[in-house]
Amino acid sequence: MTSLMKKLALATAVAAAPLMMASAASADGEKYILVSHAPDSDSWWNTIKNGIALAGEQMGVEVEYRNPPTGDLADMARIIEQAAASGPNGIITTLADPDILEGPIKAAVDAGVDVIIMNTGSPEKAREVGALMYVGQPEYDAGYAAGIRAKGDGIGSFLCVNHYIVQPSSQERCQGFADGLGIELGNQMIDAGQDPAEIKNRVLAYLSANPETDAVLTLGPTSADPTLLALEENGMSGDIYFGTFDLGGEIVKGIKAGVIEWGIDQQPFLQAYLPVVVMTNYHRYGVLPGNNINSGPGFVTADGLTMIEKFAGEYR
Amino acid sequence: MGEAAQPVPATDERVKEISGLRKALIRPELGGMVGTVAVFTFFLLFAFDSGMFNSQGMMNWSIVSAQFMIIAVGACLLMIAGEFDLSVGSMIGFAGMMIAIFSVTYGWPVWMAIMVTFVLCTAIGGLNGYIVIRTGLPSFIVTLAFLFILRGFTIFLPQLIERKTIIGGIKDVAEGDWLAPVFGGKILGGLFTWMGDNGLIATFTRGTREGQPVVDGIPMLIIWAIALIIFGHVLLTKTKFGNWIFASGGDAEAARNSGVPVNKVKILMFMFTAFCATVFAVCQVMEFGSAGADRGLLKEFEAIIAVVIGGALLTGGYGSVLGAALGALIFGVVQQGLFFAGVESSLFRVFLGVILLGAVILNTYIRRIITGER
Amino acid sequence: MTTEHAPIIQMKDIQKHFGSVIALAGVSVDVFPGECHCLLGDNGAGKSTFIKTMSGVHKPTHGEILFEGQEMHFADPRDAISAGIATVHQHLAMIPLMSVSRNFFMGNEPVKSVGPLKLFDHDYANKVTMEEMRKMGINLRGPDQAVGTLSGGERQTVAIARAVHFGAKVLILDEPTSALGVRQTANVLATIDKVRKQGIAVVFITHNVRHAMAVGDRFTVLNRGQTLGTAQRGQITPEELQDLMAGGQEMVKLEGSLGGTV
Repeated sequence: MTSLMKKLALATAVAAAPLMMASAASADGEKYILVSHAPDSDSWWNTIKNGIALAGEQMGVEVEYRNPPTGDLADMARIIEQAAASGPNGIITTLADPDILEGPIKAAVDAGVDVIIMNTGSPEKAREVGALMYVGQPEYDAGYAAGIRAKGDGIGSFLCVNHYIVQPSSQERCQGFADGLGIELGNQMIDAGQDPAEIKNRVLAYLSANPETDAVLTLGPTSADPTLLALEENGMSGDIYFGTFDLGGEIVKGIKAGVIEWGIDQQPFLQAYLPVVVMTNYHRYGVLPGNNINSGPGFVTADGLTMIEKFAGEYR
Repeated sequence: MGEAAQPVPATDERVKEISGLRKALIRPELGGMVGTVAVFTFFLLFAFDSGMFNSQGMMNWSIVSAQFMIIAVGACLLMIAGEFDLSVGSMIGFAGMMIAIFSVTYGWPVWMAIMVTFVLCTAIGGLNGYIVIRTGLPSFIVTLAFLFILRGFTIFLPQLIERKTIIGGIKDVAEGDWLAPVFGGKILGGLFTWMGDNGLIATFTRGTREGQPVVDGIPMLIIWAIALIIFGHVLLTKTKFGNWIFASGGDAEAARNSGVPVNKVKILMFMFTAFCATVFAVCQVMEFGSAGADRGLLKEFEAIIAVVIGGALLTGGYGSVLGAALGALIFGVVQQGLFFAGVESSLFRVFLGVILLGAVILNTYIRRIITGER
Repeated sequence: MTTEHAPIIQMKDIQKHFGSVIALAGVSVDVFPGECHCLLGDNGAGKSTFIKTMSGVHKPTHGEILFEGQEMHFADPRDAISAGIATVHQHLAMIPLMSVSRNFFMGNEPVKSVGPLKLFDHDYANKVTMEEMRKMGINLRGPDQAVGTLSGGERQTVAIARAVHFGAKVLILDEPTSALGVRQTANVLATIDKVRKQGIAVVFITHNVRHAMAVGDRFTVLNRGQTLGTAQRGQITPEELQDLMAGGQEMVKLEGSLGGTV
């Protein structure tokens, strides 16, 4: 048994090491927590992490990033409750499903924690839960705007590659796009899963079954990157009309090469950076912008890609 | 039996005397107990003033642990009976979605939606068991199939019916229902109000709930967890059926030879696991008011991990419900505690892995002492 | 000897066919209360099929089974067990991860009522287990000691004690000594002797002639699905038994070259 105790002591010491580092790195200023709904596997959120890190550094505040490892929204609700219990100055969170998250967010607000809604959600919902403001891109509107644009380019049918089907906002994007085109969404949205190889093969399968499809719409790098490969493989690259939400390294290359017509940039960096700056100034000087901030949509085309190319996946 | 007792040597010189303390300690739950003490010591040292041990913080990790406990009890009994259920997570999503569809879309009374869902899900659990028994396939494979089947329906049905993957509005239809509070309600509200009024726990400082305690009662989720643990523990250790569960998992053939109805035991345990998953789902749906297609993802592994931390043997025939409950507590406290302690959240998996490995090594050591395995 | 009693079980001209394979081609054996009837035979001689027929696992293709003078048709092993025919299998007797007392009462758990609940009566189970084990000469650390900590011979003894406790009239022992060391074998043979003296009929399956000779009252040899006759103790020598089992002359030659050590 004594050797066992030694092992336990050792394990504790090993386990404690990163903890010490974490506490040593913390700043003296205000403490904010950003809670996202994204599973660990979603690389797009890296920009958000970089955004809060930069904002924290510039403002001299401590910002932590938390997310449910599997993307389970019920787990996210617990994380918000937990964040509120740890007594930060403010919480920045997405509002992926108001039904679930409303309760915990309201409780946090009532307990004296300021909340800003970022990314998913809407100005109306943010007001309802008692948040200071909303920073992000209204999803349906963005999809609708893209649909109108595509209609102008003569598109009549499309494939929506949805890699996050259980997330209501991702459906709103597809629905908005369909409504913008003025057509029924119907079966044009596929559940692509999260695995790149699966996504690629499902896109290939859909396009070979429906060769008259005019356009492809992907919802982020997770679905766009494999779709690029799929189009290259079946020779539709550059021929089929390709639009995507969000940016990433491969997407930028695709836009440059003329394979992707446009990317809808919701500028996640701003969604992470601005709430931290806004909150810090609000807590330090009591100043607060009088309105919500729309970080997007901005259509990114082949013109003026240099800056984006340089910072894609990092700050863009 | 007329034969008089043979003279027996007083003691076998090869059997070492075991001290009372050691005997009391060497139990299947020992690993879980050591782990619980270690985890709490750890967080008391590193996260004491982070809010983890105020009323709100304690409620937070208690709820998360209670969630794990509910599914761990079912998974534990099933694992002791020698089988696995990988469809627990999908079952949670499926059960929640069924309640939402029945009550919101079809407009059934909520109590009826809950009851029909219980019957339906328990029946699917029974089907799982029946297929395993009849085909002789490993339960790993059969329930893996159901993991996909149930998750698929959980995404497909609401899309088909409501054209979305999250169905909300359950809180509104559950208003005034007699059964809903049994899962989504809270009890002992008066006690917490009293504690809030007397400054024992934190109260809201502003907003519409100013002056009310931040924690306003014990959620029924926790009551269900405790009730299921007591039920599982009594069933396993104190009843005839419990002996059959051990026997079915220890060696199904030997159990059959002794007249234990192994098939019945296993199928019932599959049904109980499904029942536990449904309890989890109903509590969640009633608390949050919506059902989503992503609910319960990977929960089957979390349940199995809690059970294994709690000292159960993956191959069946050995384990403890109390141990599984402690495993769930450790899991919940670590998961939430790391946030409180301010540890980078991506390191959670590292901690989980370290704890899992440590617990399994310790448990194997304890089990060898008890059972004389070599 | 015991021949003046009526046999407790009579197997008459038992045949068992599996498809085109004839596993038993007319085997007749009588077993009397209080005797140890050894069933000998080489691997594949049909011993297993024969005892499985006796214990209700297989239904005979032809032939009849008389139990206490009545013709019996066992639908499954549970029928045979409730009639009083218990089988102790070499490997499938005990569950090592479970305690001795839980094993002892497996499938026959004693129950006590506590309010509306019917609970496993551990106190009674523990008491009986300790008592029965003492009778068999096994000194347990405690009733909650796991079977896995017992030696192979002790496990067989627990299984035999269990069968006897639950009223077995015929006890079938399937190669109980084949995997045991010398001392443990002696323990098991002593246990068989005790059981026999309680008036229980023991059917002892083995292919070890020396073990059979140590406790057997009568010996039946099976070869290629047929019985080569039953002999009383004292009417047959170990060498003759060995010959019968081998079913031919090769063994004699082999034995000669090995110097009579087989």
